[in-house]
Amino acid sequence: MPVGIKSYGAYLPKYMLPREDISKAWDFPLVPGTKAVAMEDEDSLTMSVEAGLDCLSGIDPKTVDGVFFASTTQVYTEKDSASLIATVLDMRDDIVTADFTDSTKAGTTALARAVDTIKSNKDVNSILVVAADTRKPEPSTMWEFGFADGAAALLVADEENIPISIDDYYSVSANVTGPWKRADKDEFVRTFEVKTDGMFYVQSVTKAMSEVLKRNKLNPSEDIDIAAYYYNNPRAHSRISKMMKFGQGVAQDSLFFQVGDTGTPMPFMLLIASLRRPKPEAKIIMAGFGDGADAILMQVRDKDGVKAIGKGRMGFLGHQKSMTLLKNYNKFIEFKELLDKDRYTRKSSAVLIWRDTPSVYQWYGIKCKNCGSVQYPKLSRSCSVCRADDQFEDVKLAYKGELFTFTLDHLVGGAYLNTPVPRCVIDLEGGGRVLVDMTEIENPEKNVEIGMKVELTFRKYHEGGEFKNYYWKCRPVRGRP
Amino acid sequence: MVRHGIKDKVAIIGCDMTKYGERWDKSQHDLLFEAFQSAIKDAGITKDEIDASWIGIFYYFTGLSGAMVEDMLKLDGKPATRVENYCASGMDAFRNASFAIASGAYDIVLACGVEKLMDEGGSGLPGFRQFGHPLYPTPSAPAMFSMAATRCFHEFGWTKEDLARVAVKNHDNGAEHPKAHFRSRITIEQAMKAPMIADPLGRFDCCAMSDGAAALILTRPELAESYAHANDYVMVKANAISARTNFPWYVPANGPGADFTAFPSTIKAAEYAYKEAGITNPRKEIDAAEVHDCFTITELINCQDLQFCDRGQAAEELKNGTFNWDGETAVNPSGGLKSFGHPIGSTGCRMLTEITKQVQGRAEGRQVPDAKIGLAHNLGGAFSVCSTTILGLRE
Repeated sequence: MPVGIKSYGAYLPKYMLPREDISKAWDFPLVPGTKAVAMEDEDSLTMSVEAGLDCLSGIDPKTVDGVFFASTTQVYTEKDSASLIATVLDMRDDIVTADFTDSTKAGTTALARAVDTIKSNKDVNSILVVAADTRKPEPSTMWEFGFADGAAALLVADEENIPISIDDYYSVSANVTGPWKRADKDEFVRTFEVKTDGMFYVQSVTKAMSEVLKRNKLNPSEDIDIAAYYYNNPRAHSRISKMMKFGQGVAQDSLFFQVGDTGTPMPFMLLIASLRRPKPEAKIIMAGFGDGADAILMQVRDKDGVKAIGKGRMGFLGHQKSMTLLKNYNKFIEFKELLDKDRYTRKSSAVLIWRDTPSVYQWYGIKCKNCGSVQYPKLSRSCSVCRADDQFEDVKLAYKGELFTFTLDHLVGGAYLNTPVPRCVIDLEGGGRVLVDMTEIENPEKNVEIGMKVELTFRKYHEGGEFKNYYWKCRPVRGRP
Repeated sequence: MVRHGIKDKVAIIGCDMTKYGERWDKSQHDLLFEAFQSAIKDAGITKDEIDASWIGIFYYFTGLSGAMVEDMLKLDGKPATRVENYCASGMDAFRNASFAIASGAYDIVLACGVEKLMDEGGSGLPGFRQFGHPLYPTPSAPAMFSMAATRCFHEFGWTKEDLARVAVKNHDNGAEHPKAHFRSRITIEQAMKAPMIADPLGRFDCCAMSDGAAALILTRPELAESYAHANDYVMVKANAISARTNFPWYVPANGPGADFTAFPSTIKAAEYAYKEAGITNPRKEIDAAEVHDCFTITELINCQDLQFCDRGQAAEELKNGTFNWDGETAVNPSGGLKSFGHPIGSTGCRMLTEITKQVQGRAEGRQVPDAKIGLAHNLGGAFSVCSTTILGLRE
């Protein structure tokens, strides 16, 4: 059976920063466009959960056999992210998980390794490959105009009628010191000479793509319909397109102007954006870059299948539509935690969170077999409606609901970013009442009201116990299915 | 729950409290000592006559265990127990002390409460980063009650102005009380324009952080006539507690209290207390009530839950003067938590001291005319624990 892409999903944060705000902040020449900016309660892991939920919409997560996570901004080193993502996405535990890190080509590398794993292991028939980055640029450098945040997920599977097949891939390695971040010292990405960095980029990407095309006897100008390759500035993008001799409109450039350089997930995002109106049998080349390059050759096998994926998901465009501008540059500084402020934290326990995993990560409630009411969380073995003892069964809760009551809390355990915090009592679709904070809300005094529809979103909450504490929040509807 | 009750089995023979406020230069030891010495003086006893003590303290930084009583008062190793039950801690200390008297185990006992909140600074109740589950949101105290205000605005059409009237009334009463933390009157406009604490509750909708202590001396009625208040000792008519969930926001829509427009613990505690005391028409029979007004919305909902008026009518009744000190049912004639602040462990004992003095006709602030029966009420946590006590003169 052919191995290929069964589903895709994406995530772009709610907010965009106009690049002219950066220009104004530092008295730089004006640069056009905007870039996507994650909030302070987001990171590569939370964005991966978002992209994963989008990708697995309508697909039982228990049927997926692995998670490969790719990022240069993973939240832990001696602890992986893939296993946590798999847990939150409610997957089985007999699966393969791995993190691919330290290079912006980690996404394409993870994709190629997913194909290898599926082909060589009869127990593994599908792997969710999710890439995310939230690179923090050094203020007042050129990186600040480019670095942007986002995530994308591809579900790789071995099955009949795969909508997009992955037919071949080819990689090159290049040891170049630039750009880099020292693991023990650097908060920001550094560079030595951008001109040579650009030269190595062009060499690696064109070599990988040319080789994979050559050995499949494909002509870039005639045979390729979609080219989705990493780039960190528009000039580099068109230079590659010209050198490769791709046809008009083949090289995907829908990302940079509005969204920016998202790093690891960028090739996936470009691919996803290009799949809205797929040509039948379209041939696709995708490339990732970073200390070398990967080129991946794919082909649309079922045009209607690709369209069906698009209809049930937010994908790239669905997120783009619901983005809004940040109020000002200071908000960006706040989101990136570039000010050394006291941050909200609280006592935590890794043991307790592990025990409560079904409630706090996998979003399970309980249903009373005696009176039928759905409750959250599992605080007791007695029903809070009919008081029956030991009559509960686990039930998966919905990620959507309606606001029952709320307050805007200005008094949140001392310092807190973005006060007031909307504390929201939500009635979930299908039952269960929960209390969650609201995120992605401007002017809450005007915009939070009883009866409003919300979606649940997995967010970074605090760092009590010196580890990352994640929990669900709600947000005004962005349209996740 | 009223199985047998303790009606007319316990007498209050002395009580007093400290000045409430930001008592920067005093420790919890100073405050409790001050309240205790005044209370035994009021009762006309010496400290050696105390057989056992119960103390309400909420926060660990004020003190741990009954040994605090020994540290503060030196009662020579007599039995002492710390009681913690949220904002009802002080009144629950009184309840336990009452049971000790009613059982016949002791002759004279001390019920007291103290809290030294200002040692942790004044920006809201401390501890919200320490207790509870690390991931489930912990709304601040005003935020918990604000969620009820939001629903009452929605269901009953109440407004910020209705809330402001509670603050105006209570500060008007408190201005007359020499021991109140705040002794200034405010206007509706001031209350409505104050900065938000937890929308829709602004600064004047919230009680303040404060320091204070209060103490009461209890004995059996047959012994009461041997002490200073031989002719006007006060009887415990009823004493009830109801405990509900700590997490009302998780109660499903068809569960108890899920509508956020009533506090089921108050409803139940009131039901128990009225049954024990034999009260059938609280609005007519209760002359003076110290009702937990940690937030203005709390007082309005309490007035309904305590059956002083019909559901949804509290704002209108307040506007019409029903709850004024000289109205049909005087609510918080002392000025309430709005004027005294809320040193948590002490508040229940302070309210009981107020009501004792009201029915004795020696209230320190506004004396409710001809007060015979009084009620004290605490509501703690996320409307989780309610304590309701009814006091009256011997018949």
